[in-house]
Amino acid sequence: MTQPQSPSSDTQWPRWEVFKQDAPNRPHQAVGSVHAGDPPHALLTARNVFVRRPAAVSLWCVREDDLLTATPEELTTNPALLDSPGETGTYHVGVKRTNKRSMTFVDLSGTVQASGSGDALRQAQVMHPDVLAWMVFPESAVVRTDEDPGTVESWFAPAKDKTYKQQQHYGVIGRHVGELKRAGLMPGRAASEEGA
Amino acid sequence: MTTTPTTHLTDTQTQALLLKLTVLADDEIILAHRNGEWTGHAPILEEDIALANIAQDELGHAGLYLSLAQTLGGSDPDRVAFWRGPDDYLNTRLVELPKGDWAFTMVRQFLYDTFEALWLEAATRSTYAPLAEVAAKAVREEKFHVQHTALWVERLALGTPESERRTRAALTELWPHAAQLFQPVEGEADLTAAGILPDLNAVHARWTDLVTRHLVDKCGLTLPDAPTTQPGRDTHTHHLAPLLEEMQSVARQHPDAEVW
Repeated sequence: MTQPQSPSSDTQWPRWEVFKQDAPNRPHQAVGSVHAGDPPHALLTARNVFVRRPAAVSLWCVREDDLLTATPEELTTNPALLDSPGETGTYHVGVKRTNKRSMTFVDLSGTVQASGSGDALRQAQVMHPDVLAWMVFPESAVVRTDEDPGTVESWFAPAKDKTYKQQQHYGVIGRHVGELKRAGLMPGRAASEEGA
Repeated sequence: MTTTPTTHLTDTQTQALLLKLTVLADDEIILAHRNGEWTGHAPILEEDIALANIAQDELGHAGLYLSLAQTLGGSDPDRVAFWRGPDDYLNTRLVELPKGDWAFTMVRQFLYDTFEALWLEAATRSTYAPLAEVAAKAVREEKFHVQHTALWVERLALGTPESERRTRAALTELWPHAAQLFQPVEGEADLTAAGILPDLNAVHARWTDLVTRHLVDKCGLTLPDAPTTQPGRDTHTHHLAPLLEEMQSVARQHPDAEVW
């Protein structure tokens, strides 16, 4: 029987949302998350996990605890989200506009001055009323890669030279399954599935 | 050191450079395999991916070295990697030792990455343009590797008593083997004099300074004594043969395979 875990038995490192910028004039986009023990570790791991092939010029990491996200439905059932506390200052606003790219949660669309996370969320809702979800976090929570040439050269330049081989590049080993089916060489379904 | 471009290699220089490229590639191949053994076993998924990336980068560097060697009359890179046995491999014992625990893996990678980054940086100034180009390409990745593994060694050395104990144990076991990275190959002095290869003694001095600052000053570790003499790269521990047997098994079962 599975026992509920006590908080002290949770050995997971904190989760960090990773934002990747593909080109200098593009917005940072949320591409996924990493678990890491501290900010430099989060950035290094994010680079290895998310910048192996695609082009990138900048990475940000933000601790999960520093993010406030909400869908319109969540705001309807829990309006208290708009009262979430936080420091006064600059907040980044991200919006999720489409479900087409499951890897990408939000695109960062700019910053607002807010008195807390809830206030930033309220402003995000006013500015972008017709989106699937909002995400806000304070500027002070962002960990960024350096913009110096050395970092760009060693963190981001190598990936640009690497080609990504599509699956069909490797061809088919043996015979294609369609060919085997047409030749009647594929085994039939198991008897239990026949009548289903 | 001269800065005149080297456009023509003598036969003696070609043979020495071929040997050097093989030595460099062998270290990369064996270390990449040891790192690859962590796939699916690293302490956390993200580090599993990271170490696999590093292993692929190292294998890529081996490919660069062996492709350059091929243009100088060497064998096809796949033949060199998959059809030589332990008696012919010229890797250091540093890279062939079993993968050990995470501290062992990170300390070894740190010692190796710092060497490779410094050597490659110096090699970008080679008077032999094809080598300078290879070095310029590989050094970018290697500088990133150093950051990743230096971070891990620091976290482990300054972490818990257990992680510190393991890091010290790893350094004690690995340190005596690290000096083997700085053994010149036959004919290397001539290539260094011609500016084709980096001055290995200068790289060694910079390496010692860099790793001492990180391991001792930053991580609070103590450097063990290293033996004054080292066996050559042609003598191996009993760990290399089973590694090669596994690494080469697919190539040897399918010698005529055209698609990899």
